[in-house]
Amino acid sequence: MSEMKTAAYICQGCGIGERLSAKQMAVVAQKEGKMQLVREHAFLCSAEGVQMIRDDIEKEAVTHIMIAACSRRAKTEAFNFPDVTMTRANIREGVIWSQPEGDAAQEIMQEMADDYVRMGCAEIKKMKLPQGTPDKAQNKRILVVGGGISGLTAALESAEAGYEVLIVEKQKALGGWAARLWKRVPAKSPYTDPIDTGIVDLIASVTQHPRIKVYLNATIAQTSGAPGRFLVHIATENGAAATEEVGAIVQASGFTNYDINKLPELGGGKSQNVVDQAGLEQLAIEAARQGQPVRRPSDGGEVSSVAFIQCAGQRDESGKHLPYCSGHCCNTSIKQAMYFKDSNPGIDTVVIYTDLRTPGMGEDFYRSGQNRGVTFTKGMVSEVAAHGNSCTVKFKDIILNEDSSIEADLVVLATGQVPNSGVNIDLAEDAQAEAKPVSILNLTYRQGKDLPQLKHGLTDSHFICFPYETRRTGIYAAGPVRRPMDIAQATEDATGAALKAIQAVENASLGRAAHPRSGDLSFPIVRLEGCTQCKRCTVECPFGAIDEDEKRYPVFNESRCRRCGTCMGACPVRVISFENYSPDSIGNQIKAVDMPDEFSEKPRILVLACENDAYPALDMAGMQRKVYSAFVRVIPVRCLGSVNTVWITDALNGGWDGVMMMGCKHGDDYQCHFIKGSELANYRMGKIDDTLKQLGLETERVTTCAVAITDSARVAQLINDYAAKIQEIGMSPMKGFA
Amino acid sequence: MTTPIATSQTILVVGGGISGMTAALEAAECGKQVILLEKSPTLGGRTALLYRYFPKLCHPVCGLEINLRRLKGNRNVRVMTMAEVSRITGTRGKYTVTINIAPRYVNGNCTACGECARAVSSEIPNPYNYGLDKMKVAYLPHDMAYPLRYVLDPSAIGTADAEQARAACKYDAIDLGMQPETIELTVGAVIWATGWQPYDAAKIQPYGYDRFPNVITSLEFERFTDLRGPTGGKILRPSDGKEAKNIAFIQCAGSRDENHLRHCSRICCMASLKQTQYVREVYGEEGKSTIYYIDIRAIDRFEDFYQKVQNDSTVKFIKSKVARVAQDGNSGDLILHGVDTEGYHRYANNHDLVVLAIGMEPSVKGVDIPAEIIADASGFLESETSGGIFGAGCAASPLDVNRSVQHATAAALRAIQVINKTAGVEI
Amino acid sequence: MNELNIKYHNNFLKEVEENIEEGEWIKMCMQCGVCSGSCPLGPYWAHPPQELFMMIRAGKREQVLRSDSMWMCTSCYNCVVRCPRKLPITQIMHGIAAYANNLGMAPKIQPTRDFSILFWKNCTRTGRVNELRLTLGLYFNDGLVAGIKKGWAMRNIGLGLMRAGRLNLFELFKGHECKDQKGIHAMLKKAAEIEQRHKHLTA
Repeated sequence: MSEMKTAAYICQGCGIGERLSAKQMAVVAQKEGKMQLVREHAFLCSAEGVQMIRDDIEKEAVTHIMIAACSRRAKTEAFNFPDVTMTRANIREGVIWSQPEGDAAQEIMQEMADDYVRMGCAEIKKMKLPQGTPDKAQNKRILVVGGGISGLTAALESAEAGYEVLIVEKQKALGGWAARLWKRVPAKSPYTDPIDTGIVDLIASVTQHPRIKVYLNATIAQTSGAPGRFLVHIATENGAAATEEVGAIVQASGFTNYDINKLPELGGGKSQNVVDQAGLEQLAIEAARQGQPVRRPSDGGEVSSVAFIQCAGQRDESGKHLPYCSGHCCNTSIKQAMYFKDSNPGIDTVVIYTDLRTPGMGEDFYRSGQNRGVTFTKGMVSEVAAHGNSCTVKFKDIILNEDSSIEADLVVLATGQVPNSGVNIDLAEDAQAEAKPVSILNLTYRQGKDLPQLKHGLTDSHFICFPYETRRTGIYAAGPVRRPMDIAQATEDATGAALKAIQAVENASLGRAAHPRSGDLSFPIVRLEGCTQCKRCTVECPFGAIDEDEKRYPVFNESRCRRCGTCMGACPVRVISFENYSPDSIGNQIKAVDMPDEFSEKPRILVLACENDAYPALDMAGMQRKVYSAFVRVIPVRCLGSVNTVWITDALNGGWDGVMMMGCKHGDDYQCHFIKGSELANYRMGKIDDTLKQLGLETERVTTCAVAITDSARVAQLINDYAAKIQEIGMSPMKGFA
Repeated sequence: MTTPIATSQTILVVGGGISGMTAALEAAECGKQVILLEKSPTLGGRTALLYRYFPKLCHPVCGLEINLRRLKGNRNVRVMTMAEVSRITGTRGKYTVTINIAPRYVNGNCTACGECARAVSSEIPNPYNYGLDKMKVAYLPHDMAYPLRYVLDPSAIGTADAEQARAACKYDAIDLGMQPETIELTVGAVIWATGWQPYDAAKIQPYGYDRFPNVITSLEFERFTDLRGPTGGKILRPSDGKEAKNIAFIQCAGSRDENHLRHCSRICCMASLKQTQYVREVYGEEGKSTIYYIDIRAIDRFEDFYQKVQNDSTVKFIKSKVARVAQDGNSGDLILHGVDTEGYHRYANNHDLVVLAIGMEPSVKGVDIPAEIIADASGFLESETSGGIFGAGCAASPLDVNRSVQHATAAALRAIQVINKTAGVEI
Repeated sequence: MNELNIKYHNNFLKEVEENIEEGEWIKMCMQCGVCSGSCPLGPYWAHPPQELFMMIRAGKREQVLRSDSMWMCTSCYNCVVRCPRKLPITQIMHGIAAYANNLGMAPKIQPTRDFSILFWKNCTRTGRVNELRLTLGLYFNDGLVAGIKKGWAMRNIGLGLMRAGRLNLFELFKGHECKDQKGIHAMLKKAAEIEQRHKHLTA
């Protein structure tokens, strides 16, 4: 790499030149910032301004540029110089737009701008252009765990895009639950009749596909490695073992039906004539095979009436059964009632529901059921009593407002889907053993054998905008293991998961980060000689990217890493850094500001702001001309989780009067896109009180607050309130000691 | 506008809402070349105009920020705004797409400094607040707009405002000579993600949307609660600016109704459940929300949220499709007439404000879409698997955000398959 | 099977479908209740349409057919235009009423029913409605004294109508009639036969 040559560019546009002395900023950049080249421009983002920078890069061999202009979020197309290291000082949104006009504020506003220039210059010298991890893993094969409709779809769709695929299925045949259905709910117009499942064709397409290899009767004995280089041990029932290398994994391990025996009050396990939906499918397949209508299981007698009980053991608030709705069961019961109506319209079919849930075009399917004479009634079933070959269903008829009961030859309980999600790694280890789950992936990751579960055992993403967000890079859950769903949704879901798996192998092959810092080439670099084996990084990494070797040193797996910097924030000896984001790149900014003395009445408040939410909120505060204290200096951070306490102690030792940390909401409905960043920051800062006391400082000098991206007005208020509080406490006594 | 370079290796994504952005980014992050087309001046679509998402009550623009950052950092996606497809010819692997581009009258020099908006005086109804307030004829759609570039409304052209805007711009960004353009692109696959629009509430005659100012749609209610909306986050009645504390939510406004939309729009139950929590957020125990419903469709783990709202003492549920809304002449209050079907109880309930949980209509209605993608009974797209044009998100089915993104991600893979197959890409 | 055992079995629903014009629509109701809320006479019914439909599905034959609810329908069609499932509710209401009447299960003292019977007899006799006889028939339905009282109360309107030529006292004796009375009666007979045959076919 060639020698570092630094340049600073000061833009005078958008009122910067009128409201501030750009000249002075240029002087600061040169004298204090020690920039080798300093240029001012009236309109830096113009074609001409950009060309000037390009020329400097080409002709002057500039490698590091600091642009003092608008926010780093604006004008990104213009200021796009991928071959050099760049930082931007936010003079427009962060200074002139957030400060009042007029002479009174002029001096402190100029100080603010000058400090941002100092900070930018200090930062750029500690930054390098990320070169990408040398650990570029090239395996692009996709492993699909599970050979049901989700797994088969993921496999076929990946293979059709040109990728090699491996399917590992536990059972002796492919097809999963879909192969045990007589028919399925329609997913296309006209949404009126049950249709063929299509599973036979799908299995044929998969088994005949030249790029797909299938292991049957097989499970995953061990998974190690990282995207682009997973090593998978496959155990087969006959004792044979195989080892395969793959690049990414789609976990489509499906669901198990909720155990009908847990519902004795609804006749579950009490009578052969009470079945779950899967049981009814079995009866329908059997009947079709014999060319007969469905018979009563207890005596083979004719079925003249069927009751379908929705939400059996679901939507349960008592904690005894499933708390959620499985989503597909209303349509499934309608479909099953149609089985009877289509074989003999004289058979009475009643669906007892509390809320009939047939979203989208499912409404047409509901109509079609009604049209065939399926009766629907809103009711709460209290008991199913079997006697002889008949069952009595007792229920509260909600519409007619009376206790009611019906007689049925056959009762179908719409029980829910229980995800096959393996070990709940968030439970204590002894509790894990007690639950006796069988691990699906058997990951060798330090943080546990399986994908973390979100809620109710589902391995779903926590993020609404990002359904495929995963805490194990390169491993994507698809189908009912992720969220209860029907075939139509599972097909879409599996196709989406296949894309994410493909993306993961492509990213890994180029050493790039996956979502949300997509394309980031920086990666954590650790100076192992300084490591004290404290394990904080391995424990706190939200993505399980760091393992430990036998000497308990951390082992970084770059292609699992999401570049949030939580490890860097955790490290007490500061041996972890990124090429363009490190303890020094931030620490130097904190030290670079011009610190007024104790008697100046000009406190300095450091704001460490999450770059995804708090920083945009501050930008928008500027765009809306919300005025906030000129005593703050804002530094964007990748995530509050990356904030190392050394920055805080450095700041306080350096005479800063207060430190505000702005991150995302944490708790159950956390909004941190690195899962635990803001929560960890909160936890770490909880411990900083002692340090403050040792320094003889008030605990209020460090504060954390949850800021959402929409908080543009509130964020200004938060700053002003805090500035007032600092004024009240008084200036830091630490000034001048550093 | 320079015509971007496109080949049979390029994927065209039509629609810059969350589905379109997702499809474009997911494909681009797999290394594919993408052109992302948006009809309006900004990306972000309808979700950018929502206050919060269910069930987490987080803010949609948070995800938009991440997607915009992905976009800014990815050179595989090229964005064209104010652009609409007028024609598609060709077949899978090689389509010729004709695109009409409307003039923005503001070029790439714009720094979004806002001087043009200060210089003009005329105002137009603000579509980003569903016309509930006004904006200047020179405007930035919203703070999260991308591209972050002003727009001059065509109505300003030829007026003094246009000249004033041009004079105020120090950066030569106002170009009054811009003309509509038509360009042609060659692409290999197309993802159609044009999203949805609210059903015309005025057509639901008994609810009086066109007659009573205090009957609003659920989308308008989002703007009322949003800090960036016309009331700055206060829930105020349009008729008199009074605080609306007693609010009725009418479900299936247009949906599940053969006189209007025959499908269930899926999102409206959850949207109303969510909005009851806005009322609680603003008024605490003093707020009152009543949901009039046929079935509450809180599918899968959304059920948790439904249970939470059911346990909220400020929220009441009545199983009833409201028969009609009347206005109390003097007060502007609304009286809802109907029957609670759970045991037959007739009601005439007074409310300050009525929110219609308005149904979802595919935005493809009225657009001449290629025959290759078929529309179902409600006008949602169904793709032929053998083709190279794929519906994504709410253009294809009434979906919530999470499912739209899932759907768009799947659509991206289908488009990639077409590209890889026609190019014979070796993995 | 006793009444309890046939609950929610489709026997009565089928009976209704077979015997009532548009009765096959009843199964399509999704219990939204918009019809019940839309009915201007709603407050006077024991069972609004949506509830009646549920009762039919639930097999409450006696309660439905003996109910006076469907007799309250004034054919305003509010429910029909609002029904999201486009059920011809007005027609169904009249259909149920007529069926109950045919079975002799309709409530005995029910003004709408009484009027309907009166009207039918009146108009089918000559093919034209004899308004004077219809009115008097209605007034004296509850007895002589009640009839005189009602007539006295309405006397001014009656006189007004006479002056305007809208009421002719001679109608009491003959009144205007259809030219081809035989034809009318043959038509009505034929219609009744068709109705019977139709029921037989769908049964």
